Amino acid sequence: MSIAEEAPVSGRRGLNLSKGAIAALMVLAVTVVCRLLMSDLDLSIEWINELRPFFEWLVSWPDALTVPMTDWVGAVVGGFLNIFKPVARVFSYLLEFPMTWVGGLLSGAPWPLVLGAVTALGWLIGGARMAALAFFGFGFVVISGYWLEGMNTLALVAVSVPLAALLGAGIGILAFEYPKLKGGVNVVLDVMQTMPTFAYLTPLLVLFGFGPVVGLIASAIFAAPPMARNVLLGLERVEPEIREAAVMSGGTRRQQLFLVELPAASQQIMIGFNQCLMAALSMVIIAAVIGGFEDIGWEVLLTMRKALFGPAFLAGSVIVVFAVVIDRMSAALAEPRPAQDKRVALAIFAVGAVIAIWAALAGWNPAGIAALDGVAERVDQGVGQFTANHGTTLDTVKNSAMFYGLLPLRIGLSDAVLPFTWGFAWTTTHTLVFYAIFAALAALIALRGHLAGAGLVLIGAMVLEIGVAQLPWPILLFGVAALGWVASGRELAIQVTVLLGLILISGLWERALLSLYLSGAAVAACALVGGILGFWSAMSDRAWMVVRPICDTLQTIPLFVFLIPVLMFFQIGEFSAFLAICMYAVVPMIRYTRHGLITTPDEMIEAATASGAGRWQTMFEVRAPYAAPTILLGLNQTILYAFAMLVIAALIGTTGLGQSIYLALGQADVGLGVTAGAAMAILALVADRLVQGFAEERRQALGL
Amino acid sequence: MTDHNSTAPAIAVKDLWQVFGENAKPALRDARGAGDDKAIAQTLKDKGLIPAVRAANFEVKSGELFVIMGLSGSGKSTLIRCISRLIEPTSGSVSIDGEDILQANDKRLIDLRRHKLGMVFQHFGLFPHMTVADNVGFPLKMQGMGKTERRERALEVLELVGLKGREDTYPRNLSGGQRQRVGIARSLAVNPDIWFLDEPFSALDPLIRRQLQDEFLNIQATLKKSIVFITHDIQEALKLADRIAIMKDGEVVQIGTPEEIVLHPVNDYVAEFSKDVPKGRHGCVENVMTKDVPANMPDDPGLKVGMTIETALAKCMALYEPVPVHDANGALVGAVDPADLAAALQAEET
Repeated sequence: MSIAEEAPVSGRRGLNLSKGAIAALMVLAVTVVCRLLMSDLDLSIEWINELRPFFEWLVSWPDALTVPMTDWVGAVVGGFLNIFKPVARVFSYLLEFPMTWVGGLLSGAPWPLVLGAVTALGWLIGGARMAALAFFGFGFVVISGYWLEGMNTLALVAVSVPLAALLGAGIGILAFEYPKLKGGVNVVLDVMQTMPTFAYLTPLLVLFGFGPVVGLIASAIFAAPPMARNVLLGLERVEPEIREAAVMSGGTRRQQLFLVELPAASQQIMIGFNQCLMAALSMVIIAAVIGGFEDIGWEVLLTMRKALFGPAFLAGSVIVVFAVVIDRMSAALAEPRPAQDKRVALAIFAVGAVIAIWAALAGWNPAGIAALDGVAERVDQGVGQFTANHGTTLDTVKNSAMFYGLLPLRIGLSDAVLPFTWGFAWTTTHTLVFYAIFAALAALIALRGHLAGAGLVLIGAMVLEIGVAQLPWPILLFGVAALGWVASGRELAIQVTVLLGLILISGLWERALLSLYLSGAAVAACALVGGILGFWSAMSDRAWMVVRPICDTLQTIPLFVFLIPVLMFFQIGEFSAFLAICMYAVVPMIRYTRHGLITTPDEMIEAATASGAGRWQTMFEVRAPYAAPTILLGLNQTILYAFAMLVIAALIGTTGLGQSIYLALGQADVGLGVTAGAAMAILALVADRLVQGFAEERRQALGL
Repeated sequence: MTDHNSTAPAIAVKDLWQVFGENAKPALRDARGAGDDKAIAQTLKDKGLIPAVRAANFEVKSGELFVIMGLSGSGKSTLIRCISRLIEPTSGSVSIDGEDILQANDKRLIDLRRHKLGMVFQHFGLFPHMTVADNVGFPLKMQGMGKTERRERALEVLELVGLKGREDTYPRNLSGGQRQRVGIARSLAVNPDIWFLDEPFSALDPLIRRQLQDEFLNIQATLKKSIVFITHDIQEALKLADRIAIMKDGEVVQIGTPEEIVLHPVNDYVAEFSKDVPKGRHGCVENVMTKDVPANMPDDPGLKVGMTIETALAKCMALYEPVPVHDANGALVGAVDPADLAAALQAEET
């Protein structure tokens, strides 16, 4: 972190503190005061004990000052929704037509026909390789026995994607044409994307009524932002000379836009389309939690609830296969590619059609092929056997992580250290020794000139002792404000404090802390593991050859599927949720770290080499500092990913905001759903702004 | 069409200012009180604004090849964008054939661009998603011309620039020189009266550059367009221009024919440019000729008006006395001291 890097300059007359040191010391002071006022620490100092009753409000926010925001939001949004309900219902009614048509078409068409069509499409897009991918992918779906469910899911995607793409492109073009709107549009896009997916399912449920249309619209809303962003980005990146050439050719504004600028930006727009597709697929599957429509997401959820891991695994694989096929095919569209022979595609399609007709005439209904039921059964048995044989090992892993890692982080060492797990009870003496050790460590660091670092070490120690979920609110508010101030300045400090303050007075504070703890733990783990893997991949091409496909796959898989493997081995619980979040959120950290480290300009490397730097020296002296802003951006992505997954992980047992959102969905409680969702979005937004601030500060320091 | 005035210059630029920054217009208006142009520019700079073009004044005659020369950051690209109104000048006027195009509305501007103006860009500005022929035909498409006519005309212009046979390839498959030929062809497709070229050859290799310069001169010899040509290369400017405007820090410091620029630079800045230029090629005998003819001139090597200094010097290498200079009809118009010829050639070489 850059706070620690800024060495304070001590002058002869008095201390000349750096910004980071000032911030760290101030937060430290607040933390110390709060810690002393917390009632669980018995120091037998009379006057402190006497003061405590007067400062309880400092430690935990008093109920009397809590604003019933949940109720208010419920009333306002509920009233608002009621006004629009009739319009929405009409819209929902209208949308059902294309959905039924496409659904009927896809699930009604015999599978050889669909398989032929998809393979032919694959051929058109990317020749034999894509055709093979499409054939084997959809072939797998056929023999998995989930064909009908798969086609229902695809139908939802097929209707929601055009909606999302049009909506997104419209927003992108509008933001580009009217630069004044851009700021506002970006905020809206941020909210659309950081608002947890479940959170807007609730109002949509109220608005559109129970039915597949809700999932459809939710996925259109969720999938539009990437499209909008990429359209805007693509348009902004069109070379000025191309733009000017269109102007000088006498094109009207509309001609310039549609004949020149949009086509010139097509590559970026196709990237947006790819992201849009993947987001829509992911959301369509998640939307299954509001009810089953015989789609594949519902199948996964159902089997998971029944602890039928074999079928869950199989259905999950179908989702992964869909994701991979759709992703690779649409990603190929964004790249320059040679034209394929259309006759081959036609031939492939014809073969599919002929088989379909033959099957129809022969009265053979192959929709029920489920050749892999045996596999599912065997997976089920295998997992059962594995957990039975290695149950103790798995439990040890899980319990160690819980007792020595997650739990102390959540409720603090003073509460988590029990004779039952740690072998001894934590007493005031332990607390004092613990602080004495860290004070000595901090003093050592301070003496070497890193005052800010010393402050951070002490703050960290205190957070560990108190526990994230039990942190008095002033520490967090002050800490966030200080980070904002160091990262960017007063404006950001005020902004993030106000945002967090909203959660504080809304009464969702405790739940927010729980969410913060779990995502914080996951992000820390991801930063460590991802950083190491990214570093390793940057140093060795062979490592990247192994890591890369794993990253690609992890990034393609819809959120939901991550729950299956962790459930198989670790059952429902916080540790499973933690693992699922880590698996999903580690990828950006790896990618950005590697990318940052390998994209150092050649001249810089040459200069370093010419100065006699070795491989490792170049890595630490030149590449790493240069990569810092990129790595920070990776961290930022990891944080956002972790928050997104946190809500999904509520399905397998987390506490905090995610759980509230999920519960609200079950009860159609708009107030709770929206407020908890907003609180979640605020947490993500605050983290995002802070890390971006630091990244920007580093970038400027590097003159980028 | 609006009032077309045949005696008007093709382009007339009057007191043109381009100031970048917040509220540039009112700031410039306020700064007018500061005094001369330099004082105004300083006032603007003090406010944190950037005066990229300062009080530009010049005219381009019909059929003239007018070159604007300057180093990067001197404001030449901004100036040509003001004249073509790709950006909105802060103040001043630009008349094309007597019509103030800064007053033209969007419709009129589009009309002008579709029929009267053509522009070539430094980095070509080709549309990557269109074939060569489609790129060239694009302005015609804007005019509403039909597909077959468009292609016909595109092929015609492509032949003019020597790209016959490449019409169906994409820009990405062409070399830099070929790409700029496409850019040139596109700008000529509508047969414009006014031709803007923004550093068209700067991104090319020296050999290709020279080749394209020669072809450009050939094309201009037949088409006789009114041209504003931007370059940072003095050799290119001297080779192509009828007249040159030299820009520095947004200011036009000197306008003149190539020989005026080379032989009579107004200040050290301009002189610095022409330092390495072999002056003999650009100066003429008249530049060093005196009108008072000595009574007795023993030698007559046959110097004529319009002869370059280099050629003249070659003719009187061995002579030391002043020699006579005749005009085209053979009448005596003045005298030249061979020593002056040599001096003119070497003026800056020390």
